[in-house]
Amino acid sequence: MSSIPAQRPKPLHLLAAFASGGLLTFAVFINAEAGRYGGALYSSWLAHGTGTLAAILVLALLRLRRRPAEPSASGKAPLWAYLGGISGAATVMLTSTSVNTPLALAGTLALGLAGQVAFSLAADQWGLFGLPRRRLTGRDAGAVVLIVAGSLLIIFLGMGS
Amino acid sequence: MTLFIAYALIAGVLVGLSRQLNGRLAMSTSPLIASFWNHIVGFVFLTVLGLVLGNLILPGAADAPWWVYLGGPLGVIFVTAGSWLIPRIGAVNSALLVIGGQMVSGVLFDLARGAPMTFWASALGVTLILAGVALTQRSR
Repeated sequence: MSSIPAQRPKPLHLLAAFASGGLLTFAVFINAEAGRYGGALYSSWLAHGTGTLAAILVLALLRLRRRPAEPSASGKAPLWAYLGGISGAATVMLTSTSVNTPLALAGTLALGLAGQVAFSLAADQWGLFGLPRRRLTGRDAGAVVLIVAGSLLIIFLGMGS
Repeated sequence: MTLFIAYALIAGVLVGLSRQLNGRLAMSTSPLIASFWNHIVGFVFLTVLGLVLGNLILPGAADAPWWVYLGGPLGVIFVTAGSWLIPRIGAVNSALLVIGGQMVSGVLFDLARGAPMTFWASALGVTLILAGVALTQRSR
């Protein structure tokens, strides 16, 4: 199962992850605009619908150009691995609720950050859901502290004036 | 209030869970195929939910600008990237680098559109994040 070693990020990984975080900023902004007109449920529904179409389009283009992918080393995916979309859709419902409580955007972002970091620490530590285990080091702890502290500073003191 | 704190915390856990599941699926298929399943399963789930709740599309939806249709395709790239990354660099690094990118781009985006901002705090926050990102890169 853990045949692929989880290495330290290379510059390409760093760039991909950092850039995808940037994409997310724009996606969140765009989806919030859709939600302002059609409601939070509509916004998430629209994003998943247009996303499905976009993915089909790109997959079809790739199929035209080359043969189907080689069978993977990891075997067939378990059924539960197909449920990531439910988890993602539920996220939208929870955050669009908590944003409209006294927690507001700052509290929602900060707690979401905490939940995400806590889960990822557990996931690496125990190799949850069939992904490789990764031993956590002091450097991981340092990166967690710096990035979480920087994010909280931006969320609570930087945003707004 | 405790309930809403739990909501926001669980939302964060679900973001991580989603990336973990999609990453596992990508190991048996491909990151793009995992992103496709993520979107279509979420779409079906939200369609059923919308039909049950009965308020899927509010009347104002048609007045939204054309570019609201771009959020979904951006999400496809985002999920594809996450599913590619997580088996390669692990859950913690994936989460931290994506969060870092989101925070730094958010600050730049707010600067560009002139949103209110306490500059010293945002600048210091960005500095700490970049230091943390540099720490994930050190080889020894």
